[in-house]
Amino acid sequence: MAEMQKKSISDYKLPGARRPMNRGAETEKAKDSKGTFMRMLRYFTCEKRAICLLLLMVLLGVVCGILAPRLQSSAIDAITQRNFGQLPRLLCCMAIIYAVSCLAAYLQGRESALISQRTVKQMRKDLFSHIINLPVGYLDTHSHGDIMSRMTNDVENVSTTISQSLSSLFSGLLTVCGTVMMMFLLCPPLAALSCSTVLFTVFATKYLSAAMRKTYAKRQALLGSLNGTVEEMVGGYRTVVAYEKEQLIIDDFTKISDELTGAGIRAEILGGSMGPVMNLINNTGFVIIAAFGGYFAFKGAISVGIISAFIVYAKQFGRPIDEIAQVWGQVQSALAGAERVFAVMNEAPEDKSGRKKISDLPPQPDISFAHVSFSYVPGQRVLTDFSLHVRPGQKIALVGATGSGKTTVVNLLMRFYRPDSGTIRVGGTDIMDISSDSLRDAIAIVLQDTVLFADTVRNNLKYADPDISDEEMIACARQCHVDSTIRRLENGYDTLLSADASNISRGQQQLLSIARAFISKPQILILDEATSNVDTRTERRIQDAMMRLMQDRTCLVIAHRLSTIRDADLIVVLDHGAIAETGTHEELLQQNGKYHELYMTQFAGQAT
Amino acid sequence: MLKHLRKYLLFALLAPLFMLGEAGMDLLQPTLMSTIVDEGVLGLSNGGVGDPDIVLHTGIKMILLILAGAACGILSGVFANIAAQNFGNDLRKDAFHHIMHFSLAQTDRFTTGSLITRVTNDVTQVQNMVQMAIRGFVRTMILLAGGMICMMRLHLSFGAVLLIAMPLLLITMFLFLSRVTPNFSVLQKRLDDVNNVMQENVAGNRVVKAYIREAYETERFSAANEKLVSTQLQILLLLNYMTPIMNILMNLSLLAVIYIGGLNAQRFAVSPGHVMAAVTYLTQILNALMRMGMMFQNISRGMASAKRLREVIHTVAEITDGPRTDIPLSGGSIEFRDVSFGYAGRENILNHISFTVHPGETIGILGMTGSGKSSLIQLIPRFYDVTEGAVLVDGVDVRDYPLAALRSRIAVALQKSELFHRSIRENIAWGDPSADEDALWQAARTAQAEEFITAKADGMDTIVAQSGHSLSGGQKQRLAIARAVLKNAEILIFDDSTSALDLKTESSLYKALHTAYSGQTRIIVAQRIASVKDADRILVLEDGAIAACGSHEELLAASPIYQDICRSQTGGAANG
Repeated sequence: MAEMQKKSISDYKLPGARRPMNRGAETEKAKDSKGTFMRMLRYFTCEKRAICLLLLMVLLGVVCGILAPRLQSSAIDAITQRNFGQLPRLLCCMAIIYAVSCLAAYLQGRESALISQRTVKQMRKDLFSHIINLPVGYLDTHSHGDIMSRMTNDVENVSTTISQSLSSLFSGLLTVCGTVMMMFLLCPPLAALSCSTVLFTVFATKYLSAAMRKTYAKRQALLGSLNGTVEEMVGGYRTVVAYEKEQLIIDDFTKISDELTGAGIRAEILGGSMGPVMNLINNTGFVIIAAFGGYFAFKGAISVGIISAFIVYAKQFGRPIDEIAQVWGQVQSALAGAERVFAVMNEAPEDKSGRKKISDLPPQPDISFAHVSFSYVPGQRVLTDFSLHVRPGQKIALVGATGSGKTTVVNLLMRFYRPDSGTIRVGGTDIMDISSDSLRDAIAIVLQDTVLFADTVRNNLKYADPDISDEEMIACARQCHVDSTIRRLENGYDTLLSADASNISRGQQQLLSIARAFISKPQILILDEATSNVDTRTERRIQDAMMRLMQDRTCLVIAHRLSTIRDADLIVVLDHGAIAETGTHEELLQQNGKYHELYMTQFAGQAT
Repeated sequence: MLKHLRKYLLFALLAPLFMLGEAGMDLLQPTLMSTIVDEGVLGLSNGGVGDPDIVLHTGIKMILLILAGAACGILSGVFANIAAQNFGNDLRKDAFHHIMHFSLAQTDRFTTGSLITRVTNDVTQVQNMVQMAIRGFVRTMILLAGGMICMMRLHLSFGAVLLIAMPLLLITMFLFLSRVTPNFSVLQKRLDDVNNVMQENVAGNRVVKAYIREAYETERFSAANEKLVSTQLQILLLLNYMTPIMNILMNLSLLAVIYIGGLNAQRFAVSPGHVMAAVTYLTQILNALMRMGMMFQNISRGMASAKRLREVIHTVAEITDGPRTDIPLSGGSIEFRDVSFGYAGRENILNHISFTVHPGETIGILGMTGSGKSSLIQLIPRFYDVTEGAVLVDGVDVRDYPLAALRSRIAVALQKSELFHRSIRENIAWGDPSADEDALWQAARTAQAEEFITAKADGMDTIVAQSGHSLSGGQKQRLAIARAVLKNAEILIFDDSTSALDLKTESSLYKALHTAYSGQTRIIVAQRIASVKDADRILVLEDGAIAACGSHEELLAASPIYQDICRSQTGGAANG
């Protein structure tokens, strides 16, 4: 009696195993199920042999499942007819069939696990290497949480569901067909009667889940608002306390919580009756077989053993029917997941092409922007007819209010984005003709939000140049006054940074990212508000390091603090995507224009 | 926690009672079937002549029993639901009530995230556990015990099969689960690693590209991915042995029952109908046994949640009302008397701080990150209690006030402007729910928020997105300030709450504040000198102690630290 056959891994909440579906829940569907499925199949093509083996094992399992009750009925008949000599032989046959069936189940599970894990690995790898080569613009405009969830949940869901659900769908269909055939072979009238209970099952499931869907949706919505309240109020607890709102919040919470309980009870009473109703139908099937079977047996149409076989068969074919609907829903939601994954893979990767290399250019290249215009969203110009020439070794400061287009200039120079019109030249060559790898190799960038990796300090520094020796690395760190800071960390250069580098201070984070830029020995340096996240006195230590970094380099500095700007060779004031003024600090102050205004509101603490 | 269940004890008892009905009916079926076979078909007690009437009667009896069983089942479900959900509701409300009375030190200790999980997820877990205990567990137990009794009543020798099969099944299950379970935490770790690499690459995408490390990152990801997949595979393959082994055990027991049945039938000790019934009982029993294994897993998960909830419910609020009932008239004076403070279990952040703020005075507090500024002002509304010394408001120790009386005379705009997912109007009115429209707009105007509120399509009725994501940092701060201003308390505290405003807006804000709400005592915590230079006095905090105190001019003339800060903020132009 292979009752347990399908009660597999899914009961163990293994991340990756297919999740038990809530009958009441809505199933999301893929927009183009067929296309997605075909593309999905491509991932399984290299698994042809494994899939064949899997299906073969499924088939073997089903055949055993159908044969075993037949043998069992013969054994019962042997007892009824007092033909005891036959019993050992029959039982031996059954034992063999059971053994084969278990072996098949084992191999089936094994192949299914191997296939799904190999595909998950491949798919995730493909997706990652695609994401990492997407243009910055894609990642800027899409929620990171969403991308992450496609990477983990969707991929997982897709490959495991496909390999597991499809095999259980296949075995379910085979079992139903085989069992029904066997039943009709044994006793057509009894078979017809027990099939009729299936109709009840289908009808009851359909009716109940339709009714449940509504109440479940209501409960889900209330649960959402309850969780929202808890998150908000516990998260903003300081504000709750500061305004003595505890009682008010508790009252609010009580109201939602009571409502949720009401909705929950209504939903669950329907859901809870599912079990007894199914039980009722199964038992009715049992009675039909026992009573009618008994009647037929009395008439001599069938033997007693056949009744016992029917009891097993009825169970065996009721289960897949109940399951098929669920599995079908899972396959659909997996396809929807696959569609989301493929949507990312369909995005065109970043264009990194370019025939020239920076090494073909003069060692201290100049930079020129000629009539560059750009918009992130069509129709909303961020940069308009921007022209600027930066001579080799010059330090340029870009200043302006938020949204004036400072960072856009950097984004374009790095080829993170492509200008709508106009050209940017480095060393006289259009940067579109320089391969972006080579271009980026020549430029180092220090950002406002330092990005450090959960790795050792050493590896973080060497990120800029993996081939650098320890001595060189330390020399660089020393040159930009970071060495002593690093040595004061717990394990010096071997200190392991936690995720988000939260185990070192903001100032230390920024110092590390400066040292990293230093190690890359760039020809061009970009500092994008590199010190805005640290307080002013820490900034002064960082300032020293930055000065060393800027020495003898062509620099583009986006700054919001006066101290960084005063030493620039040229200050460019941006206003709504266009250059408003250029000049040195003194010159611009005298002009009494935009810069003067900016200076007064942003920098001059006591310029009253 | 049991006391929460006591209220619904009636339902909690009715549920298993009715379950007894449902499961009992299930247990009767195989016996009745054996009657059909033995008496109706084979006519064993009638000399081998069957009787269709017996078949018919027994069939009808079975149908009636089934209907009764289903009715019991549904009722049991209803009662179990009522008991479990109401229990969960009370538990949830109780836990939330407790949390709302915790001190900040206590919420820090639990961490916000963990408190949220406890009220939401853990309550659901415990509720599910209760529901399962009074319904599913009872059903399984009845089927298990009842099935065994019924089977042995058929013939004692069947019991021998159970005696061998059941322990074997349990041991197998236990062995597998105990080997697999530790792997789950490894799996979680591996999953975190993959997510971490992913997160770093998505968020730090510019840096990866700038240093041309795409290939390296792909490699790094592959390694993490490989590890995750191999751990997962290991678990899957291990579990994959379990099902076939359990199946073979079950099937062997089945064969044994038929064989023993056959032997006994030969001696006329059992009838063929009994053998059939025994086969059905056996499946029922062994399936129940396996479900039991799964349930124990759920129960252990539920118990862990129950423990986490008990921690919340049994935690006594640390900061409670003080004894004084004769509260002094409000004036707005604050005194720190030799105050030292440190967060639980860590070294002191503030050391021996003493100063007095007179009614109507404006005090600026300046200091680096980590100098203890925020900790200092949190002692005034008793967000935390001092470690040593005392904080006095209007001459009375803050610990002696009833909490509401103390906090009603203090308005704070916090460093992290926490806004709620409601309309702008409700967010501002949070400061004073009774305020009329004019007062709301006046507060908004004072906080320099009028302009951007009017610019919104829905004005005051604009809904602020979750955690204020729809607003810029400066806008959030201005709303938080409007809220604090509206409260119109004697003491107003700004905890670095203007850091995202430009100097022009900030100075207009202070000007408006002076004209609209004069006579207030104000404490302004800031990093920028510009924010505090107009204060009556400025305290410079360094390493948890007062390093300097005086007006802007005095400090500029006499305090080297202040001069130093000045220089760093204005690029050397310290002469104003």
